Amino acid sequence: MAVNEITTWACGVLQDTNGRDVSKVLGAAAGKEGKDIWVIDNYADLPDRVNVPVRKYCKISDEPIKEKFLYENHHPNIVVLMEDVYAKAYNILKGAPKGVTLVVNTNKDFDFVLDMMAANPDKGKIKKLAVVDASSIAPGVDRDLMDIEGAEGGSQIGKGIGACLAAVVAKVTGVVSLDNVMAVVANKEAAKKAVDSVKVKEL
Amino acid sequence: MFDTKKLQVPIPAHLEIPEGGVVESPKPDGEQDQFPSGGWRILRSVIDQERCTKCLTCWLACPEPCIELAEDRSVSIDLKYCKGCGCCANVCPVQCISRVPESDFKGDVEFMDEPF
Repeated sequence: MAVNEITTWACGVLQDTNGRDVSKVLGAAAGKEGKDIWVIDNYADLPDRVNVPVRKYCKISDEPIKEKFLYENHHPNIVVLMEDVYAKAYNILKGAPKGVTLVVNTNKDFDFVLDMMAANPDKGKIKKLAVVDASSIAPGVDRDLMDIEGAEGGSQIGKGIGACLAAVVAKVTGVVSLDNVMAVVANKEAAKKAVDSVKVKEL
Repeated sequence: MFDTKKLQVPIPAHLEIPEGGVVESPKPDGEQDQFPSGGWRILRSVIDQERCTKCLTCWLACPEPCIELAEDRSVSIDLKYCKGCGCCANVCPVQCISRVPESDFKGDVEFMDEPF
């Protein structure tokens, strides 16, 4: 595999910290394995507006990443949705190659997510679909809004649902090892619960 | 005194500004077609029409504004633009606006390639 491109869709301001955590945790875990990483957030979005969809990007590669100045993931092969409704509203798989892994934070089932994507012309590209109810696993820490824009601040990385989704990405795709993710995240308990409760379907 | 009426685009006097300070869209159909924000919505506001007293507080409070007013003063929500901020539910004096997860509904959202 050339470069693994991980795009996380989050809800602006309210989930900004957690969206950042997914990219940052995966990047930090890959860095421990000696891989080349490139982590950046909300390049083309409006991150200062509440509720606006924002995207966080992470590139992980075994070889040096040449495209240092492509700030967005134009060909994401792993897509993480922090809110399931983005599957309905936007083409979350735009530019993706065939064989995408889609990780969705939802309390619904596979068929419901695929149903929501009925209007999406690229939905045939999904190879693996993982659903996890991260919002109920790690509740109550989504209101720490101080640590946006990449600052680490007072709270550690991976305190809320970001930890759950990063651990799920590691488990489902194997792009980084789960042990390294667990070493990085602050909320290890939530991450472990998410890994245990995730449901995966091959399409 | 400077006469604002002589400007190419006349500035309305303070009593001529529409209620709520709502600026009309430059488009003839009154919509910003290129920027529907319905896809932002995580929680959808649902109005209980039976309990609604038609006080129009939500209509004034909506920042988008996407609360539509019918001739009989009943209100409905324009789901193409409602971004689910919940201001209407917060200000409703009889609490007849509930917020339901958007994923419980099918459709009503314009599918777009990109958010912007």
